[in-house]
Amino acid sequence: MYLKVELPRNVVIPPDQLDGEGLILQRSIIIRLLEDFSSRKATQEHGYFVAPTTLERIGEGKVRQDSGDVLFPVVFTCITFKPFRGEILRGVVNKIMKQGVFLSCGPIEKVYLAAQKMADYHHVPGENPIFMNDKHSRIEKDVEVRFMVLGTKWIETDREFQILGSLEGDYLGPV
Amino acid sequence: MSGEEEENAAELKIGDEFLKAKCLMNCEVALILDRKYEQLQQMSNDPMNQVSQVFEKSLQYVKRFSRYKNPDAVRQVREILSRYQLAEFELCVLGNLCPETVEEAIAMVPSIKTKGRAHEDDAIEKMLNDLSLIKKFE
Repeated sequence: MYLKVELPRNVVIPPDQLDGEGLILQRSIIIRLLEDFSSRKATQEHGYFVAPTTLERIGEGKVRQDSGDVLFPVVFTCITFKPFRGEILRGVVNKIMKQGVFLSCGPIEKVYLAAQKMADYHHVPGENPIFMNDKHSRIEKDVEVRFMVLGTKWIETDREFQILGSLEGDYLGPV
Repeated sequence: MSGEEEENAAELKIGDEFLKAKCLMNCEVALILDRKYEQLQQMSNDPMNQVSQVFEKSLQYVKRFSRYKNPDAVRQVREILSRYQLAEFELCVLGNLCPETVEEAIAMVPSIKTKGRAHEDDAIEKMLNDLSLIKKFE
């Protein structure tokens, strides 16, 4: 689910980017936030950082004695994406293997649907392997699939989530 | 919330901070990210280079999975769903998945039928009808 979250953050602005004009300072802060965003990627608590939307408050800056940098405590709103256990999501099939299927879902690239969790589908091998059920519903590359999140796992080293998905339930499967 | 084991969105157990957080439907995220991307385009020749992978993949995803494209329709979807005493999370799941029948809606958001909540099938049916009207007139 995409969420709108308000977060506090400390932003450090070097002295040459400081300017008496409020607008330019805001701009420097926003640019630093954006950089911070792309490098940070995600946290376990808030999920993936998609984009900052608004700068809510800029607190009083504190000068760092050694460098002359100024540290501003700011509060901003941003969009994040976090998967929840039990949530129903849609994803796109990336890869089909005998043991199961990998989907991507927004910023998450590793959604795994084990063959055991889509019991009515069977693997059809070939150059372009697929999974198919008795009603000829096909799970193949680039197909959209509705699945339920059975579990999520935070991988600290890669700063990403992995999802274990399931098609066991009504109205789940290829869309 | 005590322990991650307890999280279950189907029963609306997703932690207080997220129940209070504002959830966004895919179509709303698409509007916001599109606008951001346009702003970046004006500032740089190569905007795709300026955005993170997370941004890029999210934009692709929400564009592909938005049922409503027009900003007025997106606003109306939220307005209509807001009349039905739904939690933010439930509202967005319904707006994202656009179930067509009452049975499907309950399968997607089981918590709307849990005890103590006054969602009769008739009310759910009316809600789905209102939503499909927006889609028709978009």
